[in-house]
Amino acid sequence: MKGLRSLYIQVGIGLVLFILFAVLINNLSINLIRTNLNFSFKWLYRPASFALAEHPLPYSPSDSYAWALFIGWLNSLKVIFISLIISTLIGFITGIARTGRNPLLKIIAASYITLIRQTPLLLQLMFWYFVGFLSIKGTLIFPNERILVLSNQGIKIFGDINLTAEYSSLVIGLTVFTGAYIAEVVRGGINSVPRGQWEAFRSVGLNENSGVLKIIIPQALPAILPGLTSQYLNLAKNSTLAIAVGYADIYAISDTIINQTGRAIEGFILLLLSFLFLNLIISLMMDFFNEIITKYQKV
Amino acid sequence: MRSFLAGLIGASMLLTGCTTKNEGPKSRLDLIKQRNEMVCGVSGKIPGFSFLKSNGTYKGIDVDICKAFAAAFVGSPSKVQYRTLTAAERFTAIRTGEIDLLSRNTTFNLSRDSINGNSLTFAPVIFHDGQGLLVKKNSGITSIKDLAGQAVCVGSGTTTEQNINDAFEAISLPYTPIKYQDLNQVVAGYLQGRCAAMTSDRSQLAAARSGFKNPKNHIILQETLSKEPLAPASIGGDQKLSDAMRWVIFSLITAEEKGITKDNINKKVEIAQNNPQLKQLRRFLGVEGDLGEKIGLDNDFVIRVINATGNYGEIYNRHLGPNSDVPIPRGLNKLYTQGGLHISPPFN
Amino acid sequence: MAILLMKKINKLINNVKRTMFTSSLDTFISLFITSILFVCTVKLSKWFFLKANWTVVEENIPLFLFGVFPADQRWRPSLWLIILISLVVLTLFTPSWSFFRKLLPFAWIAVIPIGIALLAGGIGLSPVASRYWGGLTLTIFLMMSSLFLAFPFGIILAFGRQSKLQLIKYFCSIYIETLRAIPLISILFFGQLLIPLFLPVEIEINRVLRSIIAFTLFVSAYIAEDIRGGLQAIPKSQIEAAKSLGFNTFQITRFILLPQVLQIALPALTNQAVGLLQNTSLMSILGLVELLGISRSLLANPKFIGQYMEVYVWLAAIYWFICTIMALVAQNIERKTTLVKLI
Repeated sequence: MKGLRSLYIQVGIGLVLFILFAVLINNLSINLIRTNLNFSFKWLYRPASFALAEHPLPYSPSDSYAWALFIGWLNSLKVIFISLIISTLIGFITGIARTGRNPLLKIIAASYITLIRQTPLLLQLMFWYFVGFLSIKGTLIFPNERILVLSNQGIKIFGDINLTAEYSSLVIGLTVFTGAYIAEVVRGGINSVPRGQWEAFRSVGLNENSGVLKIIIPQALPAILPGLTSQYLNLAKNSTLAIAVGYADIYAISDTIINQTGRAIEGFILLLLSFLFLNLIISLMMDFFNEIITKYQKV
Repeated sequence: MRSFLAGLIGASMLLTGCTTKNEGPKSRLDLIKQRNEMVCGVSGKIPGFSFLKSNGTYKGIDVDICKAFAAAFVGSPSKVQYRTLTAAERFTAIRTGEIDLLSRNTTFNLSRDSINGNSLTFAPVIFHDGQGLLVKKNSGITSIKDLAGQAVCVGSGTTTEQNINDAFEAISLPYTPIKYQDLNQVVAGYLQGRCAAMTSDRSQLAAARSGFKNPKNHIILQETLSKEPLAPASIGGDQKLSDAMRWVIFSLITAEEKGITKDNINKKVEIAQNNPQLKQLRRFLGVEGDLGEKIGLDNDFVIRVINATGNYGEIYNRHLGPNSDVPIPRGLNKLYTQGGLHISPPFN
Repeated sequence: MAILLMKKINKLINNVKRTMFTSSLDTFISLFITSILFVCTVKLSKWFFLKANWTVVEENIPLFLFGVFPADQRWRPSLWLIILISLVVLTLFTPSWSFFRKLLPFAWIAVIPIGIALLAGGIGLSPVASRYWGGLTLTIFLMMSSLFLAFPFGIILAFGRQSKLQLIKYFCSIYIETLRAIPLISILFFGQLLIPLFLPVEIEINRVLRSIIAFTLFVSAYIAEDIRGGLQAIPKSQIEAAKSLGFNTFQITRFILLPQVLQIALPALTNQAVGLLQNTSLMSILGLVELLGISRSLLANPKFIGQYMEVYVWLAAIYWFICTIMALVAQNIERKTTLVKLI
């Protein structure tokens, strides 16, 4: 009896959902007919005819829209991967400083975290780009031309690695932002380790820094990992704000293509698929880490 | 996600049959009249064309064209909603019906006009422009060849982007395009030295330069990269709306040709009413005949338009004339009688 | 007296020594940071007081607050902002036993329709179309109304995901996981440019409402996950106990699960609210003139070109201030009220 009732409810809800979708799709097809755009992906093979400043693989404007999208996806990956590494470093250092003993470091870490977490990322990105990079007059050299040169054209490292101002400000903005969030995750993880562990390593004569690194962090890792994963996923999603600083990531290129071809629905679907795929990669990667860590801890 | 998509496709297959039952779509013009208000897409960020002033109103030649349409379609130049659109979102906005028409520095070209392209219909050109390059005077750059290998700031999703690309491909030299979403960022990028040059339509370059601290330190190169006839646009396949738009613009040009201005329009109407022999003038002003009705408007639409905005020359001088904030010499934008390109077919 | 003072100073110095200068590395770090901090403070205050040209902010305060709202009607958004500020003050300073305390939740809910009435007009007020809304007013309005809509929707999704009915469960899971996988900007893009494609030509929804819909779709998926986190924290034994007492599913949800879940999830929900406030700035990319959008328009004005630093610092201060206030209000609710009583 009860099984039958739940079946009715499900069929009812299923019908409602189906009718809702049907009406929406009907409207969509009317609107597409009205504007003479049929749902298809053939346009992907037509030449893109726009240039890109940054492309990890060879690209020219006569290449297809599909290739341009792929380049955009690679550009996104380039940002996400580097930001992911640096923000993890920043996050761990800040998180440890935040829970450490030095009051000066504590205050600085705390004010960095609140300042970054309480202001919008978009504003920060525009700050890094327009104020941080474009306002540089001439070149700033640290400590000599061989190592690091900053200018409004971007960053030059070791004399031959050139990073554009767009890429650099995006990476800096994302890492500074994500770093603050990771720091909180790390702090949470460290606080979850019993206080007795500190006394333990102090009593065996380990100093503060190596104690935290060798004793506390490994124990905190299982608590840190899930939070870290979700911050990485956020980082990937936030990288789409590249459009605000003129960097050609997957969203910016989709936007240009949708504008040129008018294929809003198809472009949107491709954008969604590429993000689902990206998320899958990051999740798989983190699962892999998780496995390694659990294995390591069992041993 | 997969089952969701499958559902979508299935549902759409089932329902494509239903769509044909729907009768032919209504003209947007009727919708505008019914709503008693018109939605006009503008840029809002280009001095002289459409610009947001500190008191919250919009001003510029594109805005005045919107006002002329509104005066003709719904009877008052103030019954307009302005939507500020970036270059990249403007066509999607027109396609989705978010705006009725576009009056936003839009270049008239084949792929935008055609059914397999953006599927728009363009009204007559309101400003003949050409793409140019703005560089710093002391940079020593005198032609596009000097820009080889350098960065050029450009707005994304524009024909400008394609033209600069074509220009560099034609001379087989490399360059780096730095693309921004809107012109104000392009200007910022150029002024702050991210790029050696910025490219856009000459009118926009002139407009932007007029706002610089030292306009004289910047020059627009002689080379013109393209023809850029700027025109208002509406969705393709809506003849009623596009006809009405076309003749409103022609009425602005004809009015200038006939010397009809905002100040003397009432006098001209009186003259037309009292002189039955002035057939042309009477038809134009709607005193006689039914020209207005033929395009789905009131017969006196020209009077309302001129009362609202003045003729084409007046609009031009108000926003781009020598005493305006953004002086641009009229050049190609003179009437054909004075050696320019603006000409209107007869109101017969 | 003097001896006491000396002792205190001595203790402080000792403390500093113990925490900042224990090892040579610590000493180095402390000195290094102090010197960097010193240089930065000097440079920043020099800029702040001498170099910065604050006229760009001073002249445009009304634009920052109200956007292009008609000048003669600006008292309306002002009034709404004042009501909001007084509500915040009341929430922060009313003691927990006070009678007003019980009314506060209702006041917070009522403030949204009041805002719509004041901004849109209609009843006795001249109507102002949503395209004129802007600045801080629009930012706060977007945040509050999306949150208000997303909250119940998120709760339904969270319970739907736990449902025994397979169809509902899968639908909710797919919805939540998809929305959480894609970037906000693409959902907002969907809201602005694709929603009209799914509607008949005759129906037009204004831009502000479309963005509220998009934000609601987005945030509800995240709220649903926070609520689910709360649900998992409640021991199963409670539900079994309630069942044995003869409670039905609805009663269990309403009287046992929901109050506890909300209490547990409150900090996470606060984070969502703060995140939402910050995310409203994304609408500036899609053409709404909220706080960041109006600033971008302002920076295009030839008169203010290049004054990024001033405007961005000013904006950061506003956002920081509002986020801090929100966090304070949430803490206050957590401390003084047991939500159990409210629902």
